[in-house]
Amino acid sequence: MNFAMSLDYQSCIDCKACEVACKEENGVQLGADKQRIWVSQVETSIFGQPFISLHPSQCNHCLDAPCVDVCPTGASYFALGGLVMTDKDTCILCKGCMEACPYDARFVDDTHVAVDKCSFCYETRLVHGEMTTACQATCPTKVRLLGDIDDEESDLVQLLKKRKFYVLKEEEKTVPKLFYLLPEHDDYFAMNSVSPDTNIYTWDEYKPIIEAAKAKRKPQWKTVIL
Amino acid sequence: MKVELSRRKFLQGSVALSIFGASAVSTVPTLLAKEKKQHLSKQTIATLCEMCVNRCAAFATVDNGIVKKLDPNPLFPKSKNMLCARGDAGIHALYDPDRLKYPMIRIGEKGSGEFKRVTWDEAYEAILNGTDKFKGFKQILHEEKNNRSTIAYCAGEGMGEHTYKDFMGGLFGSTNFVNHASICLQTTISGYALTIGGYGKADLENARYVIMAGANRAEAILTPDTMDMFKRTRGRGLKLIVLDPRFTNTAQHADKWLGIKVGTDLAFVLALTHVVIHEVLYNKEFAAKNINGFEKYKEHILSHNYTPAWASKITGIDANDIFTIARDFMANAPRAIYYQGRRTAWSKQDFQLRRAQAIFTALGGGIDIKGGIIFGKKLELDAHIVEVPLYSGNKPRIDKNEASYVGPNGTWIGFRNLIAEKKTPYPVRGMFVYKHNPMQSVPNITKTRKMFENLELVVTIDTMPSDTVMMSDVILPECNYLEREDPVKSFAGIEPAIVLRNKVIEPMYETRAVFDILKGLAKKVSEPLFDITLEYDADLRAEVAERGREDVYEEDMFNLNLAYEHTQEEINKERVVETYGEEAYHTLKEKGVFYPHMDTYFKKINMNEYQYYPEDKKYYSRPSKEKTEALDSCVDEKAMASLKKNLSTGSGKVECCLPNLALKGVDTMPQWREELYFEVQKGKFKFVTGRHAQQTQNATSNNIMLLDVMRENYLWINKEQAELKGISHGDWVEVKSSIGAVRIKAYPTIKIIKDVVFYVHGFGSESTGLTFGYRNGASDNMIIEDHVETVFGSAAMHETVVEVTKV
Repeated sequence: MNFAMSLDYQSCIDCKACEVACKEENGVQLGADKQRIWVSQVETSIFGQPFISLHPSQCNHCLDAPCVDVCPTGASYFALGGLVMTDKDTCILCKGCMEACPYDARFVDDTHVAVDKCSFCYETRLVHGEMTTACQATCPTKVRLLGDIDDEESDLVQLLKKRKFYVLKEEEKTVPKLFYLLPEHDDYFAMNSVSPDTNIYTWDEYKPIIEAAKAKRKPQWKTVIL
Repeated sequence: MKVELSRRKFLQGSVALSIFGASAVSTVPTLLAKEKKQHLSKQTIATLCEMCVNRCAAFATVDNGIVKKLDPNPLFPKSKNMLCARGDAGIHALYDPDRLKYPMIRIGEKGSGEFKRVTWDEAYEAILNGTDKFKGFKQILHEEKNNRSTIAYCAGEGMGEHTYKDFMGGLFGSTNFVNHASICLQTTISGYALTIGGYGKADLENARYVIMAGANRAEAILTPDTMDMFKRTRGRGLKLIVLDPRFTNTAQHADKWLGIKVGTDLAFVLALTHVVIHEVLYNKEFAAKNINGFEKYKEHILSHNYTPAWASKITGIDANDIFTIARDFMANAPRAIYYQGRRTAWSKQDFQLRRAQAIFTALGGGIDIKGGIIFGKKLELDAHIVEVPLYSGNKPRIDKNEASYVGPNGTWIGFRNLIAEKKTPYPVRGMFVYKHNPMQSVPNITKTRKMFENLELVVTIDTMPSDTVMMSDVILPECNYLEREDPVKSFAGIEPAIVLRNKVIEPMYETRAVFDILKGLAKKVSEPLFDITLEYDADLRAEVAERGREDVYEEDMFNLNLAYEHTQEEINKERVVETYGEEAYHTLKEKGVFYPHMDTYFKKINMNEYQYYPEDKKYYSRPSKEKTEALDSCVDEKAMASLKKNLSTGSGKVECCLPNLALKGVDTMPQWREELYFEVQKGKFKFVTGRHAQQTQNATSNNIMLLDVMRENYLWINKEQAELKGISHGDWVEVKSSIGAVRIKAYPTIKIIKDVVFYVHGFGSESTGLTFGYRNGASDNMIIEDHVETVFGSAAMHETVVEVTKV
């Protein structure tokens, strides 16, 4: 089992259903800076016309995650299923992981006095056998798809075999597992919503990268601390 | 020890009960909290969202009597496996600490917010007999000689609206009803119904070319339109043209965004029509077969010279774009739609604009066909008929002459102004308000306040202490939608279905469902009201002399309690079982959704998508038997049918010309009226308002979860113009019109054209009962002037000029 997620971000309408569903599902602390997931907005103007692209995002559950390495207490750890998890009881709020994360995916949860972030709804949904996250289930245009990339037959791998994708901040070498699907039929939108130096992958190209990182880190995968 | 045992037995009993009654959650004494946890497991109950008007199907997870989570119910074809931000935040509406918890009556001055908690009986008593602060039914009806219309009533959109109308309009007998139609989609419903026979539904799952003007489906979510279209934009099958002074989230997805000048849409549509007629691009076969008066319309469009060059000067849109769009539209027809729009109370020319849009779509043949505007099918449901008494002294509605055609939904501005200015043809002395907040939703709040001050008995039924609730004399707290079963409802469409809102938990505090609120009121007032009727109705007295009081009271339905002999649950069961059998009812209780063959038709396609009907079973075309408009709207169906009859649109064809409109001085064909349009003076701005996806009008202004994702509203102002005024992001500005002024933070942006400013509706509440909503952001209706379009008396909300000053 190796959980990952694709995001067909061209369908996003910034309705924020995902953000609210996440907060309701996981009891995330209220406050604009307390977000497990978010929609970032790039607003520019191209020849006088406004151009906006929306990038829904969250923890990348990186296979080679720097947030785990910096944690002095083991509160930030790799879990079975390729998840990056946090243990609130052992977190001492040194915030090293927040510094280490290239995606700014972590924040201080004052209600638990610990760092919090997206867990792919492990505690609330996956553990009960559900295979969707709250953000995926609630989405009007179905941007997200959670799946198991170890399973070649899964909806997710099947989709990734059909669609090209990219990951965020590949240069950080964290081997992230949020796959942003390249818009196929709108070159103008695709060109302007992806930076020119971003690598575009097919599944066959990215799969070896995943497997190498998994081989390196799998020994560290632990049972989830609930 | 003994006590322990009996507790356990009690708990076991309650668990067994909850299995049979899907919605039953036992109210175990709180002392048993610890044990309860072991015995009562989590339950999932099928309900229906009511955070906005869409009615998405949802599953509520209940843990120990507490609603913990709302999730989309994938079974409903209309809501297609989603819940939006508001739907997800329904829990925070349920558990809002500011909710109305028990009945209250006013003890301070009107509008002071000083109320006293009373029992339900005391509240009903106050409505009947008044208090030292306000008058009751008895006194008012005696003084008005039993003219029931002296008590007006209004309602916002909701599943209990019919229950409420049955009481107020039927059992009580008032003719003075106003609902939100005239501040919402009256003009567009009427425009389409009178032109192509119905408002219909845009088939955005199959349309190839859509012009969306003013409508904003990314931010004003409408199911299934929002889900259907944004999976198909950006080269995926649906070409989208957006006309809007703002670059909305919908415009982001458009193949072309045209920043049209406010109030000029009609000129744009007429020019498109001109191109299509001049270049003979229309669907000749469809026109010959299905369009009435087309020759006359052609002549009309050509002789008025509505060319793209002409429209370009008015709209600010390049003439070449108009040519291209007209040609592309027809090239994709009949799968091409000029989208109808929803809240269309914009300009004084709105009705004709909707007529022109409908005719333009028809020119491509995109009516009652896959990918066009469809009428669909509605699954029949046995009607629940409430028999009502006949009153002789009732006067007709006060606002019937306030516009050319005033139907039973009224004209809010006309109605309000008559009362505020004390110009009603007879005294209107009381008003019932259900799930409606006219204080914040009708343009010109100062006048609405005046109206409430002039009313002697104001009774509000609501869940939250809105600005309108603060103006009332008696407050009757309704329970939240998760605490009640509502009337079962059939939703028409390409994939029709019947849905049921099951009760998820018992009503909290002393709240009640509107059905039960009215049942209680009926019990209190039935006899006394009959006495009053007898006193002022000689014919009825003669009847009583002949047949006896008891017989007349019972047989002629003056006994209002007869309408409430069955519970809402029993009524629902009967209506469903009558047509679809026990099994269907069972499905509705358990799954919330039913349609014939659901068990075989409904299939999971993948983790995100489902099939509801097989392609060959969908209703893209209206089944020949269906005559009436199948799709629901806030406009009264019967009234629309009678209006159609008056205007002789019975041909079943598209009507370009409606000669009978001339009798009321209305243009028989869509025509640009220069005198109804004005250019904004230099240095000033036209104000437009709108919606967004995190709040529903003003109903969610206190929801902390939604405020978390949308804290307050900002004034959108063109970046260049803001710079000239020295206004930067977050600066406080004053926005001032002829009727009021507000202070709000500025959002200078390139996403709005020059000479227009915007802020979203729903903020700036003045009710001190709303901890988070109180004076948060600015209210649009503080500054929107009360202009109306004269055909239906709808508010023309985009005709206000404002000045913007940095403060």
